[in-house]
Amino acid sequence: MSWRSLSARGLWASSVHSLAAAVPVGVVVARVLSGLGWRPAGVVPAGVGAALLTVAAVLVHEALRLRATRWRLTGDRLELRSGIAVRQHRSVPRDRVRSVDLRADPVRRVLGLTVVRVGTGEHAGGQTELTLDPLTRRDGEELRRALLPLVPDAAGNGHGDGVLAELRWSWIRYAPLSVWAFTGGALVLGALYKPLDALGVEAFSEETLRAVWQWVSGRPWVTVPLVVAGNVAVGVLGAGLLFAESWARYRLAREPGRLRLSRGLLTSRSLTLEERRLRGVEIREPLLLRLGGGARVTAVATGLGKAEEGETEDVAALTPPLPHAEAARLAARIAALTPTTVTPAAPARAAVTPTAVTPTAVTPTAVTPTAVTPTAVTPTAVTPTAPAPAIPTGTAPTSTTLAPGVLAPAVPLGASGESRPEAPGGAGGGAWAAVPEPVGHPRAARRRRLVRAVAAVAALAAACGGWVLWAGRQGWDAWAGGWVWLVPALALPAALWLAVDSYRGLGHALGRRHLVTRHGSVTRRTVVLDRAGIVGWTITQSYVQRRAGLLTVTATTAAGAGHYDVPDVDHDDGLRLAARAVPGLLEPFLVRAADGDRPGR
Amino acid sequence: MQGDTRTSGRAPRDAPIALRPPRHRADPRAVHWWTVQGLLLAAPLAGAAAAAYWAFTDRPGWLGALVGVAGAGLLLAALAGPRLGYRVERWEVTDEAVYTRKGRLTHTWRVAPMSRVQTVDTARGPLQRMFGLADVTVTTASAAGALRIEGLDHELAAELAARLTMLTQATPGDAT
Repeated sequence: MSWRSLSARGLWASSVHSLAAAVPVGVVVARVLSGLGWRPAGVVPAGVGAALLTVAAVLVHEALRLRATRWRLTGDRLELRSGIAVRQHRSVPRDRVRSVDLRADPVRRVLGLTVVRVGTGEHAGGQTELTLDPLTRRDGEELRRALLPLVPDAAGNGHGDGVLAELRWSWIRYAPLSVWAFTGGALVLGALYKPLDALGVEAFSEETLRAVWQWVSGRPWVTVPLVVAGNVAVGVLGAGLLFAESWARYRLAREPGRLRLSRGLLTSRSLTLEERRLRGVEIREPLLLRLGGGARVTAVATGLGKAEEGETEDVAALTPPLPHAEAARLAARIAALTPTTVTPAAPARAAVTPTAVTPTAVTPTAVTPTAVTPTAVTPTAVTPTAPAPAIPTGTAPTSTTLAPGVLAPAVPLGASGESRPEAPGGAGGGAWAAVPEPVGHPRAARRRRLVRAVAAVAALAAACGGWVLWAGRQGWDAWAGGWVWLVPALALPAALWLAVDSYRGLGHALGRRHLVTRHGSVTRRTVVLDRAGIVGWTITQSYVQRRAGLLTVTATTAAGAGHYDVPDVDHDDGLRLAARAVPGLLEPFLVRAADGDRPGR
Repeated sequence: MQGDTRTSGRAPRDAPIALRPPRHRADPRAVHWWTVQGLLLAAPLAGAAAAAYWAFTDRPGWLGALVGVAGAGLLLAALAGPRLGYRVERWEVTDEAVYTRKGRLTHTWRVAPMSRVQTVDTARGPLQRMFGLADVTVTTASAAGALRIEGLDHELAAELAARLTMLTQATPGDAT
């Protein structure tokens, strides 16, 4: 296929966009000139001229950029040449393409244009995306279809195609449950400051501030609630508007082999995510939203780029805030879509072989462990990999080697009552059968959290004590010293509550296909991670954890945050969890511990 | 993991288990390397503290004692730390996985299956070159960080890297 150019209509779009810069430039020029004593007859044309010059400069740049940019789609690669001064040639293999994101702000929508962003999911080099700005909507859709062709549903897993979720406007009640609602008014003031300043309105001059202060301090019992109420009203209104702009026309649908998310009132966005890139799903509950009974669902997927600047939503966001029960139901359905099935009885190598990640592949590379010839780098470096005989380990004198089967036979874990099923009355229904409800962690984890909370408050109190001493020495009013003790006094119950709440949130479970972990209080996250997507383990144990018989198990993965923690789990439970979640990986390094070896129990 | 894990924990059939230490240590020369490295950091610090005490204060006795204790502590840490580290930091490579242990107060065990290894690097700093040592770094597709095996004999490191590369090339796929 030959090289193609971007849409020339991009010129129109950027000329409209450039007005956002051109108008202030014109106004500023006009102000400066009239400040110098020019007459209006000279000022107005000068201002308009400056604005036009700005538009022209943007247009010239855009024309050069459009001329310099060429792209083509060949049989196996997507290529992009760009750069006015510094030429750049990027080339992406088509099988590396992991997501295609179409986006159109109102101007581009009117012009029938769209910005196409192709996610490749490479960590190296920083640039994970290739952007075509702009294409006509038809070309964009065509490119998307070409890059992510519909896969016939080979799995036939019967979870049903079609719409997974659609917007219900009642969900807007969750929109104000974020910090924006409290900071909204201040944010609006901050946002207004710059343009007002450019127009010559000194909103924050000393006189205004003094007048405001006098008004507030005059009758504090009236004015303070008024200000707070005004702030909250602005914040709530803003959050509602933001929700409407971000999530109007929201629709999450399943097409064979991929998820498609579209949303947006003014700026329409649409993200297509291949299911084979999906490694799990996360339920996110920020504190306020959780107290209001809401939650949101995000994808744990490889190759999702970073959110663009000024974008209000995480790229991985799959839903707006919605009722928790719905979030759980949707998360379970999406988790069921993750491509692989770990067959616990299969050889270890097969379970973790990447070929199993493609939706159609069922061909494990049958490397029988015993068939591997030990290569002699260092004579001792090669561990016999056969699971059979117990080898005495000279390096671990206090331990005896783990006999085969200590971890119990590789039963289908979800089915054998590894964890409790969804609590009755939950929203799960049949879907949660695949994603078990997390079970809690030992009480020692709660003790840790409480101790940490008390220590933090004690540090705060010490700081307050220091402040009081210092204020006393400065000879300040007594109120500065006395009132400051309110801070630790109020912080203590809050910290204790957070500690207990954080402990209540702790949990983990192992399903037939998924590792489930839940933790966090300020933002509670429940991550349902595909076991086949785990690319390693990190197990950490601090001194305190060692004393308490706890450890933190971290599953590393190529997707999402890159690692997901199971914090403060019981020592043995944690190791067993890791060993069972990825059969064959951790077992060779586990031994049966002598009981005297185990502090804290 | 059955029943209520909050209170007691395991079903009776579950015997207590533990992670065994990886089989190999760093090269003994690594102790010297870490020591020199530590001293290069600690000696100037201690010296600077002593010099500042000499030049910029009225040399009160208590401050002198404090500086002396701090300086001695730094030097002691530089000398003792590597010896402790040598005992704690271990590594092992099997045909299936790379396994490392690190950390003095906080222990960290890391396992990466060979099938998910993406790159294998060796690195040698100028000091390491003096001692004939090298590091091997094994990365997976996760952004959560790499497994580092520090202070190996440089020939062993090169062989190990070659072997790891060979083992990982034998596995198809992009290891995500």
